Amino acid sequence: MNWRVKQPETVLLFSVYILTALLPLTSDPYYIYLGALFMIISLFSISYNILFGNAGLLSFGHALFFAGGAYTYALFTINVLKDPLLGLFVSILISLLLSLVIGVLTLRHTKIYFSMLTLAFGMLFYALLIKWRDITGGSDGLSGLSRSGILINLSNPVARYYFIFLVFLVTSLFLYYIHRSQLGLLIKSLGVNEDYLPYTGHSVFKIRMLANVIAGTVAGTAGSLYAILNGAVTPDLAYWTTNAEPLVAALIGGPKYFVGPLLGSLIYVAITAYAAKIADLWQFVLGTILVALILGSRGGLIELVRRIWKRS
Amino acid sequence: MDVLSVIFSQLLIGLYRGSIYWLIAAGLTLIFGVLRVVNFAQATLLVLGGYTAYAIYQATSNWVLALVMTPLLVGAIGLAIEVTLLKPIYKIDNTYQLLMTFAVVLILNDVTKVIWGKAPVSIPLPDMLKGSVKLSGFNISLYILIVILIGFLIFISVIYIINRTMWGLRVRAIWRKREIAEALGIKTTTLYSAVFFLGSLFSGLGGALMAMFSPMVPGLGDYLIVYAFIVTVIAGLGNLLGAYISSIIIGVLESVFTYYLPEIDLLLIYLIMAVVLLIKPQGIFGER
Repeated sequence: MNWRVKQPETVLLFSVYILTALLPLTSDPYYIYLGALFMIISLFSISYNILFGNAGLLSFGHALFFAGGAYTYALFTINVLKDPLLGLFVSILISLLLSLVIGVLTLRHTKIYFSMLTLAFGMLFYALLIKWRDITGGSDGLSGLSRSGILINLSNPVARYYFIFLVFLVTSLFLYYIHRSQLGLLIKSLGVNEDYLPYTGHSVFKIRMLANVIAGTVAGTAGSLYAILNGAVTPDLAYWTTNAEPLVAALIGGPKYFVGPLLGSLIYVAITAYAAKIADLWQFVLGTILVALILGSRGGLIELVRRIWKRS
Repeated sequence: MDVLSVIFSQLLIGLYRGSIYWLIAAGLTLIFGVLRVVNFAQATLLVLGGYTAYAIYQATSNWVLALVMTPLLVGAIGLAIEVTLLKPIYKIDNTYQLLMTFAVVLILNDVTKVIWGKAPVSIPLPDMLKGSVKLSGFNISLYILIVILIGFLIFISVIYIINRTMWGLRVRAIWRKREIAEALGIKTTTLYSAVFFLGSLFSGLGGALMAMFSPMVPGLGDYLIVYAFIVTVIAGLGNLLGAYISSIIIGVLESVFTYYLPEIDLLLIYLIMAVVLLIKPQGIFGER
């Protein structure tokens, strides 16, 4: 592990930190909200990309962890104790357990069977949120969530922003560390050729499980932050089409790079902000971007920029 | 008697639902078998078919024309999608073909929303088909019967075409081993397009049939495709016989669950899918 400044990814990552740290200086509540949303989507997408871009597993059930984290926060602060910090910790813990259980059930399969199985569990969770009305609020979800409590108070949007920033900073640095560690290399080797991995003396299942637990726990963390930001959760978060969000973000930026999903999320949130006017065409815009990327540049924007760079 | 007739009508509704699922699963299975692509847009094409049939009916007030033209139109749209979007990426990783069909889902969802609006639309059931048939004391809606029959006829014809014709032999050759089929001079790219056309045609037919019985709404495809996945996963990806049988089973189970256990109907369906995948990932009827 080295932090050489020469590494372009490190430079990009820290530029994002500086920009997000300074954003509240604009004191525009809309930008502050978008900035927080960007950090949450980023965590969600980076965690998704551990499976998709690195381990070569196309999951259609990652939204389960995101929604799991969000609902854990909501249920904990409503039924147990009103506190954002404790709510976040409980969410992280539950997400960890959830990703272990789902991992045991889904990871023995690969390729299309993994995709279908994660879809099945994701939809099972969605059905649970819809049907268990007394606890989850059914299709209305839960709203009016508390953001202040015995340990910290996040009623102020700027305080909320910096709380999310802090979690984003710590979590993404942790993920970057893993990305560049030996474990990160092993996870990436799964995506390249998992038949060769056993020759290194490592178990494919174990590496896959580690990747899944890291991805699931971080997605749950992002979901919990989402509940804090919006003060409400809805079952749509678990619907299978929610997986398009991190998937498209990873593809826009470049699934082979750590900062790919981060850049993708930035563009994703920027489009969302402008697409508010054309909300009816939101899926159309996403779909068109996907088509263009798959036909034009499967390495995402980073690959595109690098190609142009080399040519000149 | 009363309990019996309730069970009987639930069974029929289940058969109707199963027949619609089958028309999605048929295309899904054919396309996966031959092209090795999981077509996420299969149910979205069905919804597009429903809207297309509605538009034709609006323009001409002729439901027969709508029923005949829609499958051909949706087939042509499917063909256009295959030629422009999928053909250029057959040589690369399968995942990208799946993602491409997913992109098509997103685009078509909004296109239908922009053209036909968010409100549900449907074609009024023609008077000719409104009647019911009496069968040993039970009243059966004629239309439901027709849909079930058409589903069954499509099943028989697909099995016949694939197993008994020269064209079907070529399809099976590709299904089994693409490289050898190519070496024997079978034009795979033309066959790919033909199969995609056929699969889209089935979806179009399903949409036109469904529009006369239940309303079309944007996003319906996102919901239906999950059922089509459940069906094909239980059957085993690429197994036509299994796909028909499990479509019917899931359709009937769904309507029974919805009637008797409305609190957990959704949960049970997804649970069945998850359990089958866990125990037999190749499906109950096995992969072909």
